[in-house]
Amino acid sequence: MVASLVALRRPNYGYALLQRLTDHGFPVDANTLYPLLRRLEDQGLLTSEWNTEESRPRKFYRTSDEGESMLSRLLDDLAAVQTSITGLIQGVDR
Amino acid sequence: MNTLTDRYLAATLRSVPAPRRDEIATELRASIGDMVEDRTSGGADPAAAEREVLTELGNPDRLAARYADRRLQLIGPTYYLVWWRLLKLLLSFIPALVGTVVAIVDVADGKGFGAIGTGIATALQVAVQIAFWLTLTFALIDRFQPTADLPDWTVDQLPDVPAHRDISLVETVASVVMLLVTIGYLPFQHYRSWVRATDGDNIPILDPALWSFWLPALIVVLLASVAFEIVKYRIGRWTWALFGTKALLNLAFTVSVVWLALSDRLLNPALGERLSWLADADNRNVLGTAVAVGAAVIVVWDLIDTALKARRQTV
Repeated sequence: MVASLVALRRPNYGYALLQRLTDHGFPVDANTLYPLLRRLEDQGLLTSEWNTEESRPRKFYRTSDEGESMLSRLLDDLAAVQTSITGLIQGVDR
Repeated sequence: MNTLTDRYLAATLRSVPAPRRDEIATELRASIGDMVEDRTSGGADPAAAEREVLTELGNPDRLAARYADRRLQLIGPTYYLVWWRLLKLLLSFIPALVGTVVAIVDVADGKGFGAIGTGIATALQVAVQIAFWLTLTFALIDRFQPTADLPDWTVDQLPDVPAHRDISLVETVASVVMLLVTIGYLPFQHYRSWVRATDGDNIPILDPALWSFWLPALIVVLLASVAFEIVKYRIGRWTWALFGTKALLNLAFTVSVVWLALSDRLLNPALGERLSWLADADNRNVLGTAVAVGAAVIVVWDLIDTALKARRQTV
């Protein structure tokens, strides 16, 4: 979810996002990602618009302002977890 | 237009909320198209690629549930333990009780040993009904209970010294319900028993003459037992005082019933007109003795059990 929010700072559509996440080491199942995008959109964390210029109509998602603030909270949490783990590891080593 | 993709979309969209169906269909079709294209550009056979992509997306019902944010479980962890405990409690005595009653009615009807089969069949039916309705109720609660309204757990909710509460709420509620059902049955059988006279009038099971004193007295004893159960729950453990009260209440009830049964005053004499088996005085004596012995065995067993608990818990 965090990865999706980060990646969708640049608008993208379902399958391209899936590939991008996989390339960056977040292997995610298609049947998890597509419904997740829907739910994030319902929660207002993503906005979307249809792009009909290409060969097939694609729905492009983008992280909304609300999504950004949620993202920064989540990133802070992750950083805090990382700090704690690091501290714990070093503490054990000592 | 009946490709695998079409069939997959139809299967998925079947259970997705209608207003979003078209949009999800377009997006999902495009996504499947992208995935297939990606594979065919790598030199794969289009038909095989389509099959592979749909396999990767998995069971359409599961995908639809994810789209609709629907739970794939009947009863979630919030209610599972309560459901399980209640199911065990109800199944532990109600089917056997109803089956026994039905079997006794059949015996009274003169059906002999066939009554045992009827009793078992009824008990099984009752068990299935209980399990079904209880599960349905909990499944509905689990889906529609707005969890936001549930108060947060606080430390104040901890029961007093939980380790020493030897009398559980479930046990108390079950006892009180049983007592109330028994109390309710006494007037109920007077107006609605399963026995009808030839002219269609209702024949009470118990002798209506008992209403002048015995049945009201028994109801008073039963009400006192309800009060006793509540007091017992408040105290939370067996004490010898509680044991004495319970013994008195049980003896008051059982001795009355045993005496009435043995002196052949319990059942309505009018029953004999409809149930030929009961018309015979010997048969009535057998039934009276059976009721008396049954009641005595139950009360003795209960008192021994209670005494053991009281001894264990007053140490």
